[in-house]
Amino acid sequence: MSEFNNRISLQRTVIKITNSLGYRHQLVGISSKAIDRWVIDNKIDPKSKLVVKIKEISGQLFFLANKSQEQITESYRKLSNIVSHLVDELKEEVEKMLNEG
Amino acid sequence: MYIYAFGSVCRGEIDRYSDVDLLAIVETQMDTLNFNKDDYSIYSESRIRELWDEGNPFAWHLSIESKLIFSSTGKDLIKNLGTPSKYKNCTSDCKKFQRLFEEAFLSLTNSCDSSIFDLSTVFLAIRNFATCYSLGIENRFNFSRDSALKLESHPLKIKSECYDILKRSRILSTRGKGENFTYEEIIGVKDCLLQIKKWFEKFKIN
Repeated sequence: MSEFNNRISLQRTVIKITNSLGYRHQLVGISSKAIDRWVIDNKIDPKSKLVVKIKEISGQLFFLANKSQEQITESYRKLSNIVSHLVDELKEEVEKMLNEG
Repeated sequence: MYIYAFGSVCRGEIDRYSDVDLLAIVETQMDTLNFNKDDYSIYSESRIRELWDEGNPFAWHLSIESKLIFSSTGKDLIKNLGTPSKYKNCTSDCKKFQRLFEEAFLSLTNSCDSSIFDLSTVFLAIRNFATCYSLGIENRFNFSRDSALKLESHPLKIKSECYDILKRSRILSTRGKGENFTYEEIIGVKDCLLQIKKWFEKFKIN
């Protein structure tokens, strides 16, 4: 799969995990503007662990956009590791929230 | 450092979805920190040169539809780069965007957990596919947001309400702007997805 499609796929994963929480309004993207909109629509605490984690992932996923082609392969490898770690942390946080009801 | 406006504002293609696209071309990674990445597309000068050498559609887009707003050197970098190389990656790019559509289609079919994001991805896929196809196969510049409707061969024909929902979902998922979607709107647009799938299959990409 291309790096571009991979990045979209990672965004989808984050969105599916987050939306499993069942908020009234779905998270529809992980640009910071889309996250802010979701936070406001659902009256979520912007400083909550959940929001901070999603914003962290967002920052990492958009980081590559401006990298030169030569750097992409290595950066993407590093980024994949960082993002998969962050996604695991997000999953844990979501599971915790679901268990707490 | 250079700042350019590009996109719909330079085409005079103004509608309620219009935004001003800004490009910042910087020299070092540190310079990127001065820009809000939500407001600017930020590229290094070396990456811009690579895009020109690749004949990347974005390079063609900028060469045709960008306007210099600020230059710290007094020069117009994009103008000085001249015409980009011939676009060579049309086949792989078109296949990439077709796959992107298929992944979103599959996700929409299997669950509702990311439906608006998936609709937004469908819009991204059809728009980028059409832009790449126009440039690589039709030898035409078609950088409009509605490039799929403006293809010479097989323009996309779906109900305008469906197309509008796809477009709105893209704006919502990237800029966080616009009305939220009703359940009926999402279900309604899902009916058009098979038509879009068939539309992709009309193109013989080898």
